[in-house]
Amino acid sequence: MMDTRDLARMGNRIRRDVIEMIYRVGDGHPAPSLSAADVIACLYFGVMNVRPDQPDWEDRDRFVLSKGHACPALYAALCLKGYFSRDLYPTLRHIDSRLQGHPDMKKTPGVDMTSGSLGNGLAAATGMALAAKLLNKDYRTYVLTGDGELGEGINWEAAQTAAKYALDSLTVIVDNNGMQSGGSIESVGGIVNLPAKFAAFGFKTLEADGHDCAALLSALQTPHPGQPLCVIAHTVKGKGVSFMEHNNAWHKGVPSPEQYDLAVRELEALIDE
Amino acid sequence: MNDEKSTRTAFVNALEELFKLDERVVMVSADSVAVFRAKELQNKYPRRIVEAGIAEGSAVMIAAGLASAGLKPYVCAYAGFLTMRALEQMRTFVAYPRLEVKFFGANAGMCAGEREGVTHQFFEDLGIMRAVPGFTVFAPSDADDTYDLVKCAYETKGPVYCRIGSGRDPVVGRDRVLRAYGDDALILGCGAPLADACEAADELKAEGVKTTVLNVNVIKPLDEAFLKPFIARAGSVITIEDHNVFGGLGSAVCEIAGRKVTRLGLDDVYPESGTAQELKEKYHIAKSDVIKAVKQA
Repeated sequence: MMDTRDLARMGNRIRRDVIEMIYRVGDGHPAPSLSAADVIACLYFGVMNVRPDQPDWEDRDRFVLSKGHACPALYAALCLKGYFSRDLYPTLRHIDSRLQGHPDMKKTPGVDMTSGSLGNGLAAATGMALAAKLLNKDYRTYVLTGDGELGEGINWEAAQTAAKYALDSLTVIVDNNGMQSGGSIESVGGIVNLPAKFAAFGFKTLEADGHDCAALLSALQTPHPGQPLCVIAHTVKGKGVSFMEHNNAWHKGVPSPEQYDLAVRELEALIDE
Repeated sequence: MNDEKSTRTAFVNALEELFKLDERVVMVSADSVAVFRAKELQNKYPRRIVEAGIAEGSAVMIAAGLASAGLKPYVCAYAGFLTMRALEQMRTFVAYPRLEVKFFGANAGMCAGEREGVTHQFFEDLGIMRAVPGFTVFAPSDADDTYDLVKCAYETKGPVYCRIGSGRDPVVGRDRVLRAYGDDALILGCGAPLADACEAADELKAEGVKTTVLNVNVIKPLDEAFLKPFIARAGSVITIEDHNVFGGLGSAVCEIAGRKVTRLGLDDVYPESGTAQELKEKYHIAKSDVIKAVKQA
């Protein structure tokens, strides 16, 4: 597993690949992918026990990207981890591609659950963690949700079940960038007090800077016997690209050639730090 | 009046056989243990019954997660709460990734919901599930047929949706050919209304009108090779189902018949509380409606 400095570098390599994919393909959600990059880097390169040469290994740790529109970040992490070659990048969202517009567990090696219809990831991960319990396996299940998608009631249905079954192999990480498609999560969804909500539902609940890999690792590795873990990761939408940070116009969009050059320059400077 | 035998008990009996056969089979309940008469099963196999509470969407997602790790979940809930509230989860997270999850919907049909009223009368499920790619759709005729089809669901690759009735279900027979008196008319039915269709066929025979009654318990895919010769030689073709006339068995038969089909079912209306017999008569899926349809067709 990588140290925190390398994890931070990996987060930025993921970001650079996200920008490259979206620019070349001409479609996608850059800012939500950028906010999730460090969490995904920490999971795949600092925490999870997986075998890229054996994506269906039955004892692997599982990851569900509930905010499936951030899949360029997941595809980049899987590629950098060795699941598939960069040659797939330009096929994203194109006909006959293994890289669908939202994650597809049957088409993309390393994708553990189909996702993209918001709100459903936590419930799927609950089933995966419950399966570990029923099958006496010790794999762990991680799910990354957006904060806006916590408006979907099914999250809280699943949270009740996860706590009832004391699923201490389950970790939900909330990419708490504070923005959803239409604006702030407070103004659009009325989504407030997330740590208190998860705690009330029976999760051990921690908060961390979602762009500080040391803090993320520490939170993700905190023991939580007898209950699922929730890590509220405080993130910045568009993190790492100056003109995308805090700018919800980049929820979905494609950089111009000049913007692409600038974004890549900024990210490569971060990688070389 | 026909004898009754519970489709719900038949379901549980078959599920217990599957529990014994394959330790990967589990039941996922949306507080459906009592409804599905599975209390005793739960006492015997407490780890094999996953209880998601009154939360059908989450129950289906949990089943998807279980199936992704190699378990074989049997999701049990009321037919409408499953196929309407959790439809998207059934489609996007089970059928699309071709996961091995089987679904059982209780109170399927207007009559199964009887006195509960429209909130608990589900007569759109077959049409809804038929429209989702990858699903196999079963509508068993009675308890014995339910037992067979629950086991058949295990053998069927991919997701299956199967109707379960009220628990007070008429004995119809599990054969595909229920009456074979002749070709004056062909009556294709599914579920409890087949009891009325068979009684109608018996009465018509006494009057010299010879009909054939088929139990079409697999709504999707229809067994065209089996059905088409019957359809081709019949004087008239009638379908009967406890379902809206749009989307269910009648629609499926029209898609393959290439000729006029008289469809008996709910005429695109919402029914109401009442006894099963009263409802059948008021909403035109009673024995008398079959007789009338055969004579008019």
